[in-house]
Amino acid sequence: MSIDKELREELRQVADSMRCPPELYGRVQQSYQHYVNEKRGRSPMKKRMLAGIAAVAILIPSAVYASSYLADGIFGSSTTIEQIGGTQEDYQEIEEMLQAAKGKLTEDEFKEYVELTKQLMQLKLKITDKNGVKHEEKLTKEEQQQFEELASKLAPYFEKINGPAKP
Amino acid sequence: MNDKELLPWLEKAKLGDESAFQLVYQATHQDVYRTVAFLIYNKQDIEDIVNEVYMRMWRSMDKYDPNRPFRFWLHGITVRLVQDWKRKAWRRIRLFERNRQTTCEPFDWTDNAVLRSETQHELFSLVRQLSYKLRVVVILRYFHDYALEEIADMLQIPVGTVKSRHHLALKELRKRFEMTGGDAYVH
Repeated sequence: MSIDKELREELRQVADSMRCPPELYGRVQQSYQHYVNEKRGRSPMKKRMLAGIAAVAILIPSAVYASSYLADGIFGSSTTIEQIGGTQEDYQEIEEMLQAAKGKLTEDEFKEYVELTKQLMQLKLKITDKNGVKHEEKLTKEEQQQFEELASKLAPYFEKINGPAKP
Repeated sequence: MNDKELLPWLEKAKLGDESAFQLVYQATHQDVYRTVAFLIYNKQDIEDIVNEVYMRMWRSMDKYDPNRPFRFWLHGITVRLVQDWKRKAWRRIRLFERNRQTTCEPFDWTDNAVLRSETQHELFSLVRQLSYKLRVVVILRYFHDYALEEIADMLQIPVGTVKSRHHLALKELRKRFEMTGGDAYVH
């Protein structure tokens, strides 16, 4: 037998005995899921976070309260949000969320958190029409990227806020 | 399943169809795994690379020319990722070497099935001892049956280089095979 033939034969036999471990499927599938999510522009983490932000953004309220309100720091005044339909209760809810954040984050963290939220809200306001419906396609590419960046920067803060209280 | 049948599924999988992904995986994973396992010996690394191959598959689907065989493209991705990995591994090892003195790390070599094959298949065990550059040519030539020109295309090196590596590999194999007392009629 020539060495060519023998090589072919042996490699084939050896290959037949090599089995891709079945557990690898789970891993590849996970990566695939990740790819699909990325392609659609949001990972599960982002989804959860966006849900949190949506609670703030879609229900944007119209209450006019004293300027000591933390929410005013983000939205400026209630007129900004009246335009996209919200109630006083909604505004109150956001205020509570911010208060909770203030309680659980350090001073510097909270400042950063408010700043990021503010930027995110600008984008959110831009894509939300007066009925509270979102139109993500209104964003430019740069804005979408900015949106994602903000969302991922905010993620650790949300974890902290939703996690146990500061010891 | 041949390339033509696979194509529509690949398209679907690229767009996020999970069942299409499953089908593509089933149709290709043994081949990808074996190709990598012939070139890389660490079990963990093999799995990392296989995973990476699939990630790359979806992401570079747009660059695939449907007029060429899918498997050729897939093997191209596989071989390039193996090479990328080896480059990185080499850097890692150098850093590692600098930090350690004498200890000799036992490597987590490939599974027992391969080791068993080595004892049963003398020629294969010699192939495993070839340098990577020679081995990859042998695997592509004799396991995947590619012509030397195709191998050159895939490895992005001149045909002449492939020819000389192929020649050198066979020479090495013959020499060692005779030394170990292998079949006398190998010529």
